[in-house]
Amino acid sequence: MAASLKQYRKLLQLLRPFISHRNLSTSPVVSAYWNKDWKAAALPKTPKERAEAAKKYGLRVEDYETYEDDGSGYGDYPKLPIVSGDARDANVDWDIPEMKRNFNEPLHIDADMYGEDRCNPDLKLRYSYTTMLLYLGTFMATVIGVYWWSVKYPRFLPVMPKQYPFNDLYLEKGGSPANEKTIKHYTFEPAD
Amino acid sequence: MGNMMYAYVTNPDTVPDYNAPPTFDPLQGFPNGRKERVINVTREELDKANIDLNRRDYCVDLYYNFMKCRRIDGIFAESCQHIKHDHDKCEFDDYVLRMKEFEREKRMKERAKRLMQKSQAEALTD
Repeated sequence: MAASLKQYRKLLQLLRPFISHRNLSTSPVVSAYWNKDWKAAALPKTPKERAEAAKKYGLRVEDYETYEDDGSGYGDYPKLPIVSGDARDANVDWDIPEMKRNFNEPLHIDADMYGEDRCNPDLKLRYSYTTMLLYLGTFMATVIGVYWWSVKYPRFLPVMPKQYPFNDLYLEKGGSPANEKTIKHYTFEPAD
Repeated sequence: MGNMMYAYVTNPDTVPDYNAPPTFDPLQGFPNGRKERVINVTREELDKANIDLNRRDYCVDLYYNFMKCRRIDGIFAESCQHIKHDHDKCEFDDYVLRMKEFEREKRMKERAKRLMQKSQAEALTD
């Protein structure tokens, strides 16, 4: 039995998940296989049904509350408080730190909406919306005000308009030959 | 920036209108007159060569020569580059002349203002 230690280690490696890890098949919440198994059951009516449903979702009966049965409700799915990923403490030793979630923790019905990268209804703003609007309004008013003020003072280079031959291209620009005036342009050299 | 300071802060009354031609007599201060600006092509030649309107400034004769050279020697011919350079130089000098006209207009306006102030002061002392 020279290889017995090696074989024992291999066996331990195989059994390890069943010894030390909980996995999906041991969870009471997600013991489902097919789509219909994921569907929530009908709304519980009697206290016994309520207790069973609460146990199914891993909740205490006191904490178990359902959505209203208004025709578009969610059956016996629990109505959980919204705690978004952003609002959860990052320093807690979560089972799934990437999602700040514990194993077997019941999910909010809209959990996909309250991830860390999604919205956070409990967000505390650094500045109120009034202050933000005031700041934005002040900035925009300043920019637009400076623009309107500066329209009266165009920037220009110190040059006169360009001179063109043939009486400033009078005929070329569509003037009538009867009204053509003679426009002379001069260099800065003296005539003789 | 100095131009903007002059136009809007220090001397807004004597700054020339950069959108209009000069207002003073162009021959004032030139006892023998000034040389006129001329071009060495006619309107018919330009029309025949189909030269664009925005090329028909006082350098259009050089542009005309350049186009002619290109037609004869080939479109990117090295032999035409001197004529092209002449045309570029002419456009540069045209811009300098516009700057000089601005400066002349500015100084004439300042002079007119000075003369008016002087005559007003004399009228007060009389």
